[in-house]
Amino acid sequence: MKKHGMGKWNKYLVAGLLMTGLALLLGIVGIFWTPYSTTAMSAAEKFDAPSLRHIFGTDNFGRDIFSRVMEGMGTTVVISSLVVLFSGSVGILLGALTGYFGGVLDEIVMRVTDAVNGFPSILLTLVIISVLGSGRQNVILSLGIVFVPSYIRIVRSEFIRLRDADYIRRARLMGVGRMRILFVHILPNIFSVFWVSVMIGFNNAILAESGMSYLGIGVQPPDASLGKMLSDAQGYLRTAPWYALAPGLSIVWVVLGFALFSEGIRRRNA
Amino acid sequence: MGRRDSPVSPAPVFCKLRKVRGMQECRMSGRMEDIMIRIEDLSVAFGDTEAVKHVNLELIDGEVLGVVGESGSGKSVTALTLMGLVADSAQVTSGRVLFDDVVLREAGKPCDKALYRQYQGARMSMVFQEPMTSLNPTQRVGKQVEEMLRLHTELRGEDRKQKVLEAFRSVGLREVEKVYSCYPHQLSGGMRQRVMIAMAVILHPRLIVADEPTTALDVTIQNQIIELLREINQKQNNAMLFITHDLNLARRLCNRIAVMKDGEVVELGETEEIFQNPREAYTKRLIEAVPSRVKRRRNAAAESGMGEPAGSGPDGKIPAGGEAAEKAGTEQEECAVQGWNTGREQGAGLERSAGQEKSAGLQECAVQGYRKPILRVRNLSVYYKDGDNSLFSRRKKQCVVFGAEFELYPGESLGLVGESGCGKTSLSKAILGMNREVEGEIVHTTLRPQMIFQDPYSSLNPTKTIGWQLMEPLRARAALDQAFAMTREEMETAAYDMLHKVGMEDKYFHRKPSQLSGGQRQRVSIGQALITHPGMIVADEPVSALDVTIQAQIMELMQKLQQEMHLSYLFISHDINVVYRMCDRIMVMKDGRIIESGETEEIFNHPREAYTKMLLGA
Repeated sequence: MKKHGMGKWNKYLVAGLLMTGLALLLGIVGIFWTPYSTTAMSAAEKFDAPSLRHIFGTDNFGRDIFSRVMEGMGTTVVISSLVVLFSGSVGILLGALTGYFGGVLDEIVMRVTDAVNGFPSILLTLVIISVLGSGRQNVILSLGIVFVPSYIRIVRSEFIRLRDADYIRRARLMGVGRMRILFVHILPNIFSVFWVSVMIGFNNAILAESGMSYLGIGVQPPDASLGKMLSDAQGYLRTAPWYALAPGLSIVWVVLGFALFSEGIRRRNA
Repeated sequence: MGRRDSPVSPAPVFCKLRKVRGMQECRMSGRMEDIMIRIEDLSVAFGDTEAVKHVNLELIDGEVLGVVGESGSGKSVTALTLMGLVADSAQVTSGRVLFDDVVLREAGKPCDKALYRQYQGARMSMVFQEPMTSLNPTQRVGKQVEEMLRLHTELRGEDRKQKVLEAFRSVGLREVEKVYSCYPHQLSGGMRQRVMIAMAVILHPRLIVADEPTTALDVTIQNQIIELLREINQKQNNAMLFITHDLNLARRLCNRIAVMKDGEVVELGETEEIFQNPREAYTKRLIEAVPSRVKRRRNAAAESGMGEPAGSGPDGKIPAGGEAAEKAGTEQEECAVQGWNTGREQGAGLERSAGQEKSAGLQECAVQGYRKPILRVRNLSVYYKDGDNSLFSRRKKQCVVFGAEFELYPGESLGLVGESGCGKTSLSKAILGMNREVEGEIVHTTLRPQMIFQDPYSSLNPTKTIGWQLMEPLRARAALDQAFAMTREEMETAAYDMLHKVGMEDKYFHRKPSQLSGGQRQRVSIGQALITHPGMIVADEPVSALDVTIQAQIMELMQKLQQEMHLSYLFISHDINVVYRMCDRIMVMKDGRIIESGETEEIFNHPREAYTKMLLGA
């Protein structure tokens, strides 16, 4: 194959991998261990500027911001992954069934997704949260529901495209079972398209989760979250700008890294 | 030199002949200024790969030069370079292109777009292969043709329109006013190609480059377009560069032919000269690969017996290969179609035989004795549902096949010929059970007839290895019926065997389709269809997407396998020559009806219907 050398690795991919890798590493480590306790307050160290002791400085309670960013990153990454996992699998299942079989089920599912799409996503999550109450699971569930329609649409259109492909017709002629056709014959062929939407979805989930926490409908204290930190820092923007900069830049870092990574993947496959 | 022996139009042959002689004299007397296009030592490269290598071609006024070659031979790149339309990533690495001694393109220099614009359209124009994509779908065709006049002439308003209508008339379009205000999708393929040609000739260019102008069209339409091109060439006396992979077409239109292979011109000469005395081995192979009627007759003697009833054994011996057929045969039971349903659901499928008495049919077979059809179709009508199926609107039903009746016998090839849209694919789908909107009776004795599709690039699953795909039919069969359960090793052995049978090496087992050529893919498709030993194969244009030499190989393979495995083919094609070579009997289909059927020789020698004659003439 010709795709070795430059084709396989491009700058987007390398930069994206490094940036996301670092963020993921911090986040995952942050779940289990942080340099300082994320809840330990210290009146003496209130609003310390970034230094070697506290590389991102400390906040209004004297907590180490770097530790809190690590933990918040962990929360964000875990929630976003679960959101993508949930909406992706529901999307694959419903998209595959509706796209391949069409008919009444298709019609109903599509109208429901239209309805879901009709609401502004933030409003919809608000409604769901206010009904179910806040908390990790409910954040995941509400974001998952908001994200599902786009996956259904993507998967469905791919299945519609491929259900009449010659090799699928031949599989039917061979007597291959329907579920096997759906998930063994067709599904691997849509992965290249599906991956792109997963990447984009992951980024959107990070932003949405941060947004929800910022508005106070995301994860609740004492869980650290990047969005929550941003909204806490708002009041001290002049006195302690690092308090807001640290979580803000972290969000930018993850999202940018992931965008570069998915662009790299896209270019490699192109 | 009797260079155009086509029976279609004897009259123009003579005037053409005279002209050709005249031109030859010109060339012999060495009047260099007569040469309009000169391609000197042209090489074109895309990055590291050279697509065209040191090509020399010349064209004089009124001459038709055919450039023949298989895909990837560099013929299109040569033409596009000449036209100044080749992609910017292509570099001219040597040589130059001259039009009337003006250098259009030279090695090492980028394409001079301003210079080319003076030539494109007005002095040289191009007809492309795909008429659908070369017309703008959002504009009326009349306006699109008028664009040429707007750019290159001083004509205004009504004059322009009249000129366009005149051009439409000259390319044989009727109701020109109506065509003028049509969008491309409202026209048929042939009409679109005529519009394209009108666009190309409206300014009376001195050079017309036609890149496979008929490949996307039906045979009869193909014929008309070729006639039209010839007529234009005679009327306007413009030179024509005719690019094709079809030697027969080139023979009918061209004065001279250049044969290209791997970017080089391997042979160049007068058309008949090339056909009579090809110098290069490659040219010989190309000519031999063209399925001609003469060849079939020669082979027929050797292959006789294939179509004879004796082959299927009056002694009641069931031919090897057809396990399913054997089973059905011993049970004296014909399973109604439902090919793709599970075998256990066969009972349910019987309701489709619409009250026909099966036993009566069986007795008929018994009377016929030694020849029991593997497939019998009685009074079959096929419907097609139109439009979207949504919650609140029912689809309209349209009849596409009317009352088809025929039989297919074991070991036989039955050809189904007709133009696109005549219902031949619908008929085959109905037979395979892919379309359930049918009335009438389809009875076949083979459990799961398989199909070979036209496009080798879409008939294999791109994400699976060849080995996996060859084993999948075995897995599917085992899943449906425990009797066919196989171990993994057995399946692999069977897959390797089949790979060898279709003429491929072991190493392809672990490859994916993207690493295979078109011909190889088609071989795998055939192997995949045959691995469960179905008695019957429906082949829908299995070779028409392939290059001629590959075409010949695949047809040979299919014939070989037919004898080895005693297969029946229902062979669908629009290419009359391919059908002639492959089939024992032929059915001609038009507008959903089978209008004529009979032994191949009979149909070819004594066609009854006017339509059949037209097809054969094509």
